[in-house]
Amino acid sequence: MIDFGIEFVPRDLYWKTTFYAIQAEKTGFDTLWITDHFNNRNVYVSLAIVSAYTDRIKLGPGVTNPYMAHPVVTAQAVSTLNEVAPGRVICGIGVGDRTTLEMIHVKPEKPLATIRESVKIIREITSGKNVKLKGTIFTISGAQLNFKAASEIPIFIGAQGPKMLALAAEVGDGVLINASHPKDVERAIGFVREGAEKAGKKTEDLTIAAYTSFSVAKDQEKAAKAVVPVVAYIVAGCPEAILQKHGISPKTATEIRQAIIKGNWKEAFSQIDDKTIEAFSICGTPETVVEKINRLVKAGTTQMVVGSPIGPNIRKSINMIAAEVFPNFKEAKTK
Amino acid sequence: MALEKIVRKIPSSSWEATSEKLIDIVLNSPNAARMPSGLAKTILYYWQRDQLATEIGIQRLLEASTHIDLEKTIEVLKELGLQEVVAVLESH
Repeated sequence: MIDFGIEFVPRDLYWKTTFYAIQAEKTGFDTLWITDHFNNRNVYVSLAIVSAYTDRIKLGPGVTNPYMAHPVVTAQAVSTLNEVAPGRVICGIGVGDRTTLEMIHVKPEKPLATIRESVKIIREITSGKNVKLKGTIFTISGAQLNFKAASEIPIFIGAQGPKMLALAAEVGDGVLINASHPKDVERAIGFVREGAEKAGKKTEDLTIAAYTSFSVAKDQEKAAKAVVPVVAYIVAGCPEAILQKHGISPKTATEIRQAIIKGNWKEAFSQIDDKTIEAFSICGTPETVVEKINRLVKAGTTQMVVGSPIGPNIRKSINMIAAEVFPNFKEAKTK
Repeated sequence: MALEKIVRKIPSSSWEATSEKLIDIVLNSPNAARMPSGLAKTILYYWQRDQLATEIGIQRLLEASTHIDLEKTIEVLKELGLQEVVAVLESH
């Protein structure tokens, strides 16, 4: 038994994202994440609308980053959201997408200290405390909300590298492992376990989510075609060590990133081959994805996040997941 | 003719299929941005309450799909054998 999360990119019209979110709730998804990139629709506006049309599903930014939004602003946003959806809000935070940060010349410097301090600030502010901090990155001489958050907000950390994975285990309630390949997830969970142990925490108390790029369709080729743009973005922002594990040169990743920044989609996407799709996504027919999810579960995943693009036809793919994937991992939905 | 009267020409046995097809048009049309925000929110309201395959739900979906892509809507209604509805829409 594992939880299923779903990720939406608010590139789509707000009502489409909300339509799919309602569908996700109806079909039995447990958690809903909305991405935060400056060039898409705003994550909190999107989440607020989704909150108004759903009743059960947990939801939050997946993930926001402290380079674009100061942690006090994130704390304010998720606390406000928690009034609309009390007890359902979760907060995902990470270093952000390298490609979109590069577009506006924002450098994700000192990521470990930045995330550590951000989590502390968000946790304390959302708990109603008056935060005073003289950190390496942030200095706060007294910050408190003028309203009370409806309930505690769990914080999840998006992570890929060994140190960030360990930090996520140490300071987070959950970790969003930015990987789709079982070997990458298995390796990442090793670092999460080490981090938890070091911090005197039990790994079982953490939600360990595989935050995958996902595409399911009856037709393997259609599923693969849909996932190419997302894989291109992932490769463009991927740490060198992980690229090299999959036999992809950092030069190729740089070329893809530059092509995306310039808007040369054709050039960027043309460099994504079957091997790269296999390395950076869960993609295929329902039978194929079930087999791949099984491998992630065996590696220790407790939440499977079905990430963008979900499939060539999102509505059909959500129904397909509910009908043909969930029965292998979840009890039948009650609503 | 008002949408309420047009939708009454759809037999209840076809509501489910009609609703499904109209949802597909609304979600997948390249003209989806033409959807008025107020109508979108009404559709979301009925979707949340499982009422898009009811008379009122289909009214709103038909309003949206004809607004977004009239040609495709007529094509789909023809496929569903709803000639009477097609005739009314074509006469408008």
